[in-house]
Amino acid sequence: MMGPLVPQEIIGADWNLFIAFVVGIGFGFILEQAGFSSSRKLAGVFYGYDTVVLKVFFGGAVTAMLGLLFFSLFGWIDLELVYINPTYLWPAIVGGIIMGVGFIAGGFCPGVSISAIAIGKIDGIVFLAGIFIGIFGFAEAYPLLEDFYMSGDMGSPKLNEMLGLSGGFFGFLVIIAALIMFWLGDLAEKKFPRKEY
Amino acid sequence: MKTKYMNPYLAGVLLGLVLLMAFFFSGRGLGASGAVKSTIVSIVSTVAPEHAANSPFYSKYIGEGKSPMKSWLVFEILGVLVGGFLSGALAGRLKLKIEHFPGISANRRLVFALIGGLFFGFGSQLGRGCASGAALTGMSVLSLGGFITMATMFGTAFVLAYFFRKNWI
Amino acid sequence: MSIKNVVMLGFFLFGLVIAMVPENTTKPYKLTAEDMLVEVQSAAEMVNADEVAHWIISKDPTLQLVDVRTPDKFQKYHLEGAVNVPLSVILSDEYRDILDQGVKMNVLYSNGTMNSHQAWMILRQLGFKNNYVLQGGLNYWFETIMNPEAPSIYSSDEEFARYDFRKAASGALGGGGAVTLTAPAKTEVDKPKIIRTKKKKAPAGGC
Repeated sequence: MMGPLVPQEIIGADWNLFIAFVVGIGFGFILEQAGFSSSRKLAGVFYGYDTVVLKVFFGGAVTAMLGLLFFSLFGWIDLELVYINPTYLWPAIVGGIIMGVGFIAGGFCPGVSISAIAIGKIDGIVFLAGIFIGIFGFAEAYPLLEDFYMSGDMGSPKLNEMLGLSGGFFGFLVIIAALIMFWLGDLAEKKFPRKEY
Repeated sequence: MKTKYMNPYLAGVLLGLVLLMAFFFSGRGLGASGAVKSTIVSIVSTVAPEHAANSPFYSKYIGEGKSPMKSWLVFEILGVLVGGFLSGALAGRLKLKIEHFPGISANRRLVFALIGGLFFGFGSQLGRGCASGAALTGMSVLSLGGFITMATMFGTAFVLAYFFRKNWI
Repeated sequence: MSIKNVVMLGFFLFGLVIAMVPENTTKPYKLTAEDMLVEVQSAAEMVNADEVAHWIISKDPTLQLVDVRTPDKFQKYHLEGAVNVPLSVILSDEYRDILDQGVKMNVLYSNGTMNSHQAWMILRQLGFKNNYVLQGGLNYWFETIMNPEAPSIYSSDEEFARYDFRKAASGALGGGGAVTLTAPAKTEVDKPKIIRTKKKKAPAGGC
């Protein structure tokens, strides 16, 4: 049996929404367990006093990446059917910059703010309200932004393809980078003592 | 009382496994901003259907038989709400409050939260994803676009951290 | 060992393994052997020469003839409107769009039935639908359609009708024995159902 299961209709498409729900529960649970519902904890990565974002984020990406590579190796998943985020160069850069501002100002990102709201954080609710307004603004301004939004279309290239490396080898490089990040993270936390929050 | 959080390394691995399951079952990764977008599309198309039909943005998501709320992301976000609540309940962290650095006022925190949300919302549409969608998921599938968005997102935040430091430390 | 060290070590070791092991680029078979046996025994993939002639003449837009012989044979002669997908390169990505689709009926043919059937088997096992095999291939095609055998006085009505049809068809298709074409509307042809595959949806996702 080979994944992904729903796109190949091995399970019905109706299950997909249920699966999404279950995945969300797992996601939200783990985020809250790790402390992501606290904006102060999240912002800590930018000041060194709490690098949980780094560890969970890289840890998650590396685990999933390894998982995909191994699954593909064993023939358990067909990577061609897995969605790869497309690359539209200019909006990707500008969007990232704008989100960076939002991150350091608000101390949340959308998914995390939901788990914050789940435990009663009012600042999370306000952040979400901001997101609504922001997206609404984008939607209304879309006719003006459309050309820029569609510019720099590069298809869906993968990082390792750009460098001419195999998926596995590149994955190894990412892991090394992550391990270095982990080490730096712990170093920073020792250097910038954490005040209780 | 020191709050008891899960070991971040363990949390990272578990998160990765959840993400892997999403890939294996649904062929896609996580996301969040898309759910908010779907909600907005639904609201606008209900309140002002003509405007929605004429707009190049909204019209993509409405039409015969297409229900914007019946999307993977919307259901996922509902799950996040439940999962976060469960975890908070189990850990005794359920509390209605405005969390902020003691050095600033609660109102100031809320103002910045709103501004942050504004920027994030707008940026997520341009960048075609937020931290969970573009960055986390994008990295795991080695997407170039995901990586670029993630790098610029974190890079910008790091660079601007100095200017926002009064809010946090 | 602390959790942190376990995780870091784990990442490193798995990373090492995945870096060294070559990538899996095989194209897997989607049908089990049992499924294939059932399909092969039902012979539902066969289409006969009369049917194909009918479709060509009536200019059926869903018909796509696929010649699986070598390019030089294709050059020498091929059925009108046929594309050449030599059996030896049938797995190449170049032909994927023709062979894996849900809009047309691909009728595979070769000189006899062997090569076209071999092609069909492979494609079917990869899970592709809407591919069929021309019974008897070009050899039978020439014998029956292009140069139909005149029925004897003992033949049934049905055989006469078939002969008439073939005569007319061969005329339209450029064979010997040209006769004015009466659109062979009487020949009831059972068209195989085209299985519309939701054209393997480019995976959805994103925010």
